[in-house]
Amino acid sequence: MDDTAELAAFRAEVRDFALTHCPPEIRAVVAANGKLGRKHWAPWQRILHAHGWGAPSWPREYGGTGWDQRRRHIFDEVLAECDCPPQYHHGLRHIGPVLIEFGTAAQKARFLPGILNGEDWWCQGYSEPGAGSDLASLKTRAVRDGDDYVVNGQKLWTSHAQEADWMYTLVRTNTEVKRQEGITMLLIPLSTPGIRVREVRTIDSWHHVNEVFLEDVRVPAANRIGEENKGWTYGKFLLDRERLGGANVAPAFRFLERCRELVARQLAGPANALKREQLEYRLLLAEAELRGARELGKAAVDAVMAGRPLGLMPSELKLSTADTVQRIGAIALDAVGERVATRFRPVDGSGPNAEVEDIEWVQNFMYLRAKTIFGGSNEVQKNVVAKQLFGM
Amino acid sequence: MAFEPKPMLPGDTFDAARRFAEASALKLARLHEPAARAAELATQWAAVLELGWAGTLVPEACGGADGTLLDLAALAEGAGSAGLALPLAATCAVAPTLLAGQDALLADLVAGRLQPCIVLDGLTAEAGRLSGRAVGVETPPAPSHALVATGEALYLLDLAGIGFARHERIDGRLTLDLEVQGAPATLLRPDAGEVIRRARDLGALLTCVEAVAAMGTLIQQTIGYLLARQQFGAALASFQALRHRVAEMYVAYRNLTGLVQAALAEPSWQNIAFAKLRLGEAGRFVAEQAIQVHGGMGMTEELPASHLARRVLMAEFEYGDRHTQAARLLAA
Ligand SMILES: Cc1cc2nc3c(=O)[nH]c(=O)nc-3n(C[C@H](O)[C@H](O)[C@H](O)COP(=O)(O)OP(=O)(O)OC[C@H]3O[C@@H](n4cnc5c(N)ncnc54)[C@H](O)[C@@H]3O)c2cc1C
Repeated sequence: MDDTAELAAFRAEVRDFALTHCPPEIRAVVAANGKLGRKHWAPWQRILHAHGWGAPSWPREYGGTGWDQRRRHIFDEVLAECDCPPQYHHGLRHIGPVLIEFGTAAQKARFLPGILNGEDWWCQGYSEPGAGSDLASLKTRAVRDGDDYVVNGQKLWTSHAQEADWMYTLVRTNTEVKRQEGITMLLIPLSTPGIRVREVRTIDSWHHVNEVFLEDVRVPAANRIGEENKGWTYGKFLLDRERLGGANVAPAFRFLERCRELVARQLAGPANALKREQLEYRLLLAEAELRGARELGKAAVDAVMAGRPLGLMPSELKLSTADTVQRIGAIALDAVGERVATRFRPVDGSGPNAEVEDIEWVQNFMYLRAKTIFGGSNEVQKNVVAKQLFGM
Repeated sequence: MAFEPKPMLPGDTFDAARRFAEASALKLARLHEPAARAAELATQWAAVLELGWAGTLVPEACGGADGTLLDLAALAEGAGSAGLALPLAATCAVAPTLLAGQDALLADLVAGRLQPCIVLDGLTAEAGRLSGRAVGVETPPAPSHALVATGEALYLLDLAGIGFARHERIDGRLTLDLEVQGAPATLLRPDAGEVIRRARDLGALLTCVEAVAAMGTLIQQTIGYLLARQQFGAALASFQALRHRVAEMYVAYRNLTGLVQAALAEPSWQNIAFAKLRLGEAGRFVAEQAIQVHGGMGMTEELPASHLARRVLMAEFEYGDRHTQAARLLAA
C-alpha cells in the first residue's frame, strides 16, 4: 500500500471503531453540544484504552500508539467527525505527561494505569483567589510533618473537582525565597479529610468550576512530584502541554460545521438573506483562521514528537484558536439569540436550564468566554509573545 | 535578540531573490518622478529576465528551468520579503500556466521577446476581435502583448499600435488601462476555462507567498522602530498596548503562514481561496497596525515599512479579493 492508501485505510479503521464502539448516548450529548463530564469521558477513555488507543500523545513505552503526526491528526479529526468526546482530560493531557517526565517509578506504576483506563479522574488545583494570572503568588501552604505534608489554603476555579478523585496542585513550601522557588507540586486524593468542595456557578448556568478548601489536609510526601520547591518547573511544563491542547482543532471544525447547519436551518428563506449571508461570511473567516491554526498545530505536534523546543508555539496556538472559537460561538448566538436568549432559565425553578430548543448555543457562547481567560489568559499570552519578539 | 522572520522556503533561491529585492527597493526608494521610477523598474525587470526567473516553471525544451511550484515560491518569498515592485506572479506563474503547450510562445516568454500583461477580466471577444475596457492591469515596464481571457477563451493581443494609459499602484508597481474596440487578436485556445482558473489561482497563491513574506519584514521593521523610538522617557517597545498590538500582528502573520504553507503543499483551489481570504483579513490588519504604531512616520512615503504596508494592502486586490474568494467558497 502506498502512503495515502495506508492513511485512508487508517481513517476508515478509526471511523469504523468510533461508530461501533463509542456509545450512542455519549455521542448524542457531543452532537447536541451538551456539557461533557466524567460520565462521558471516562467510559470512552476505557474503551479506547482497551483497544490500545488510550494515549496517542504519550510515548509508546507508556501506552502510546507510536503514531506519527499525520495519524494523530486523522485520529482526532475522525473522532470529532463522529461526535466522540475529544480525548482531552486532565489525567491524560496534563498530569500524565508530567508523571512520565518527572515521576518516580512507583508514581508511574500507581497513577498511569488509572489514567489510561479512565478509572482515576483528575482535576487541577493551581489558581487561588489571590493567584490567577500571577500564579507564582499562590499561598496555599504545605508544611512537612514526618512523612506527610500538612496543607492549608484555598483553591479556586477548580474544574471537575466535584467529580474528580485526585487533584494535582501547586502549594507553597518555602516563603523565604524568590516566589517561583518555593513552590511544590503535590497529588492529593480529594477524599482526604479536611477537603471541602463548593460549587461556583458560571454564567452559562452549568457546573464547571469549584472552590476547594483545604484545612490540615495530610498528604504523604510520596505524592510529591520531583523535588520540593521545584514545582514551578513541573507546573509550567504542564501548562505548555495544556496550551498545546489547541493543536487539536478538529473539535473546533466540528463546532463550526454545527454552527453552519444552525445558520442554514435558522435563517432559511429570503427574509433572512442578509443576515444569513453575513453569518456565512463570518463563518468562512473563522474557518480560514482555524485552517491556519491547524497547520500551526501540526508543526507543534511534530516538534513535541521530535523533542524540539516548543518556543512560542503554545502561545501562538492559544492565540490563534481561542478567540476564533469564541467568534463561532458569537455567530451562533447571532443566529438564535433573538429567539432563545429571552428564555434562558425558567423562573419557576424547574432545573438549571430551560428545555428550549437551541438553548445550548447561548450557554456555549457564555462558556466560550472562558477560552481567553483560562490556561493563561490571552493578555498573558501576548505578554509572553511580545517578550520573545522584542527580546525584552 | 529581537524577532527575525523565518522563511517558509529557506535556501539559496530565497536568499538570492531577497538580496536582489532589497537592493532594488533601495534604488527605487530614492526616486520620486514617475518617469524615473518607471525607468528604474525597467532596468530591474531586464535583470530579472536575465536571471531567468520567467522560465522557472517553463520546460527545458523551451529554454526554461523546468522547476517546481516551490522553486518559484522560494523566489517569490525572497522577492516579497523586500517588496520587489515587479510582476513576478503574472509573468512567472500566470503567463506560463496560460501558455502551457504553446512551446514557441513559452520560449519567447523566457527569452523576453514576449512580455505580456495579463488581462483576466473586462474584455470580450467577437469573431476574433476584442472589445472592452480593462483597468489597473499589472504590467511589465514595456509590455509587448496582452494575454487576454474572455470567459473560456484565451487570446494574444499585440500591443503594438494600441494606446494605453499607464499608472502606478499603491505599492509602486506599474499598471495600464486598456481600452479596445474590435481589436484583432490571435485565438490561442477556445476552451481554456480550466487553464484560466488555474492560472488565476496560482497567481493568487504566489501573491499570498509574496505578501506573507512582506508581512514578516514589516513586523520586524515595526519591532525595530518601537525599540528605537523614545517617548515619555522610555522606548515605545516598553508600552504594553503596543507590545500586545505587535503580538497580535505576529499571531495573524503566523496563522496566515500556516495557510500559505498548506496551499503550497497542496495547491487545490480551496486551499488557495482560504489563504487569499485570510490574507485579506490578516494582511489588512498587519498593514494598518504597522502604520498606526509608527505614528506620523507611518504616514510618510519614504519609510520602508510604509512601502511594505502598501504592498500588503495591494496584495488583497490581486487575483480576487476576500469577497471574491468567499463567494467562490460559499458557492461550492
Ligand atoms: C471556566 C474556567 C475554568 C478554569 N479551570 C481551572 C482549573 O481547572 N484549574 C485552575 O487552577 N484554574 C482554572 N481556571 C482559572 C484560570 O486559569 C484563571 O482564571 C486565569 O489564570 C486568570 O486568572 P484570574 O481569573 O485571577 O484573572 P486575573 O489574573 O485577575 O486577570 C483579570 C484580567 O486582567 C488581565 N491581566 C492579568 N495580568 C495581566 C498583565 N500582566 N497584563 C495584562 N493583562 C493582565 C487578564 O488577562 C484578565 O483579563 C479556570 C477559569 C475558568 C474561567
